[in-house]
Amino acid sequence: MRHSQKIVRRAFRLFWRGIREWCGDAEYERYLHSAGTRRGCRPILTAKEFYVEQLNRRYSRPHRCC
Amino acid sequence: MKQLRKTLIWVIIAILGAGALGKIAFQRGEPLNAIWFVIAAVCSYLVAYRLYSAFIAARLLTLDDTRATPAERHDDGRDFVPTNKWVLFGHHFAAIAGPGPLVGPTLAAQFGYLPGTLWLIVGAVLCGCVQDFIILFCSIRRNGKSLGEMAREEVGPRGGLIAQLAVLTIMVILLAVVALIIVNALSSSPWATFTLAMTIPIALLLGLYLRFLRPGRVLEASLIGVALVLFVVVAGQWVSDSPSWSHIFTLSGVSLAFAIILYGFAASALPVWLLLAPRDYLSAFIKAGAIFSLAAGIFLVRPHVLMPPLTRFTDGNGPVFAGKIFPFCFITIACGAISGFHSLISSGTTPKMILRESHARFIGYGAMLLESFVGVMAMVAACAMPPGVYFAINGPAAIVGGTPVEAAATISSWGYPLTSQTMTSLAHAVGEHTLLNRAGGAPSLAVGMAQIFSSTIGGDRLLSIWYHFAIMFEALFILTVLDAGTRVGRFMVQELGGRLWKPFGRTGWMSGILLSSAIIVGMWGYFLYQGVIDPLGGINSLWPLFGIANQLLAAVALVVATTVLLKMGRKRWIWITLVPMAWIVTITMTASFQKIFSPNPRIGFLANANLLTAQIVAGKIPFAKLTETRRLIFNQKLDAVVTTVLALMVIVLIVEALVQWYAILSRRRGPILHESPYVPTQWVRDFSGAAQGDD
Repeated sequence: MRHSQKIVRRAFRLFWRGIREWCGDAEYERYLHSAGTRRGCRPILTAKEFYVEQLNRRYSRPHRCC
Repeated sequence: MKQLRKTLIWVIIAILGAGALGKIAFQRGEPLNAIWFVIAAVCSYLVAYRLYSAFIAARLLTLDDTRATPAERHDDGRDFVPTNKWVLFGHHFAAIAGPGPLVGPTLAAQFGYLPGTLWLIVGAVLCGCVQDFIILFCSIRRNGKSLGEMAREEVGPRGGLIAQLAVLTIMVILLAVVALIIVNALSSSPWATFTLAMTIPIALLLGLYLRFLRPGRVLEASLIGVALVLFVVVAGQWVSDSPSWSHIFTLSGVSLAFAIILYGFAASALPVWLLLAPRDYLSAFIKAGAIFSLAAGIFLVRPHVLMPPLTRFTDGNGPVFAGKIFPFCFITIACGAISGFHSLISSGTTPKMILRESHARFIGYGAMLLESFVGVMAMVAACAMPPGVYFAINGPAAIVGGTPVEAAATISSWGYPLTSQTMTSLAHAVGEHTLLNRAGGAPSLAVGMAQIFSSTIGGDRLLSIWYHFAIMFEALFILTVLDAGTRVGRFMVQELGGRLWKPFGRTGWMSGILLSSAIIVGMWGYFLYQGVIDPLGGINSLWPLFGIANQLLAAVALVVATTVLLKMGRKRWIWITLVPMAWIVTITMTASFQKIFSPNPRIGFLANANLLTAQIVAGKIPFAKLTETRRLIFNQKLDAVVTTVLALMVIVLIVEALVQWYAILSRRRGPILHESPYVPTQWVRDFSGAAQGDD
């Protein structure tokens, strides 16, 4: 019983993490943990700055297909 | 023993798939159950993925997991982000799945279910998936370079420019044709127009929420947005029932066209966080939900396919669009089987996020298989309605007639029984004044989806809600393609203009933004207007033009892929890209030739222009219609010029590639491959388990 609960909990956690990553919720956390940010080559952006910069970058190239 | 069991399972899957394909191909007389389509498609995909894609990965590309991908080497958390393969699969699929795989098969259903279904499955497995997979691989090995950059480096300097111009042209035609689909779906429909109009303030609200209140909290904002959108779908009925409100939202095709042109301009010029991005989030969630619901609906309801395997319109005189199965079925299906546009995604964001080279197989090949499955479901939804109803919805007034009585008489005379009462009752049941002459595929697909959904939940009582949900779903993500495409088109115009006058290329200069937005919107807006006033419904000329442009871009991608493989010394397996390339070039060149020079005025642009000119000379055109007719003549000639330019661009690229191939094969020139140097991965020790989210 406890084992199956553990499996369900793990599956749910994985699903939740996948959804957050797919929809973009986890992008800022990703950015903070990225190797480039950790190296500290550039000043770290705030969540607001990162959000706008990311969108401008994404929507300046083909992003949605026919 | 284990190996034997595995082999046996795959043999059973292959036999099941072959049996289902045989059933689809040879069943005559009685209606076929849709579940055969699902079995045929899924088994074919499984076998192709297990065998063909594995063969390409191992023998042709020799994917190497010890090589660091661009995401590992340049991990900056912005462009280069190592991403779990399932998440990246979701991103990639959401990016490639647009209206094409839904609309194309719906239009191609006029030939019957057989040609379209076979091409959707075979075309995807042998052409579309191969293109997406190999271009993704090429881009990964080149630091995530775009198709244009790869064409310039690997094929020649003209290749890059041709790819760039082809992309801009296809973008203009694509935006015009998707806008036309929305216009035809919303025309004279206050419920649908209100629902779609309300998504704009909802998107603005979400934009402000995400920018100022909860930056980057996409999930919660999207859920709020989805709830609001579902509410306005229901509220649309109240608007439709109210005489005063209904009057406000009942718009003609021309008014809707101008409204959409204005919207496109605003979406391109406004900050991206305000309107474009939140609409995209909404669209992604609703798209995913609707596609999975449709799959579940088909599985649960298992509708019968009422369309015959082959209709009488295989002779080329179809009411939806003119032209024979070869080449027009292949041009019309477009993205569900192979799409050049996918190569832009495969050489755009995805290669910069991929964790390991081996994931390219699952993401590149696998996502295209899923897209093809969406196309098969659209084909089922379109063919599940009586053929008479299908032709009444998709046929233009000039061919089937503008009233239920005329349409019923015309379509019944073709051998597809239809009564005027059927169309009137159906329109009433879905909450519309009429469903006649709604060319474009969206309304007929919505009727098909609504019938499948209502058979699962709600019955006939909810048919109108499901219909408008389906229309909203299609229109919402078509608008997303429209605004995102307009913005990218604006950047392309600025980049090309910047070569002539530097300040124009500055993306932060407001006058440049406004001017370039006006140019790109003006370009697709012109084609849209032309389609709206076209008496044949516009789709007849614009959708084949879009199909040709899209498949020509696929030819460009396959030329690049073949060149890279030759340079890699894979002569023995070159047929893997060469055969799809030859096929795509053959169908697009044949279609281009017929669209320009066919003596049939419904097919050939020039023949139609000549016919209209002759009618003016003979005095058959009333004085009031003279200006409109002259404009139609000009438009037909313009379409002929656009098709010629597209075909010529690809011919130039192919000639350039042939010279290059000859030089390599005859050893006059050494193959210079522009791959980035090998760097061993630092994650090599984690291969067995979780590396950077790869669990």
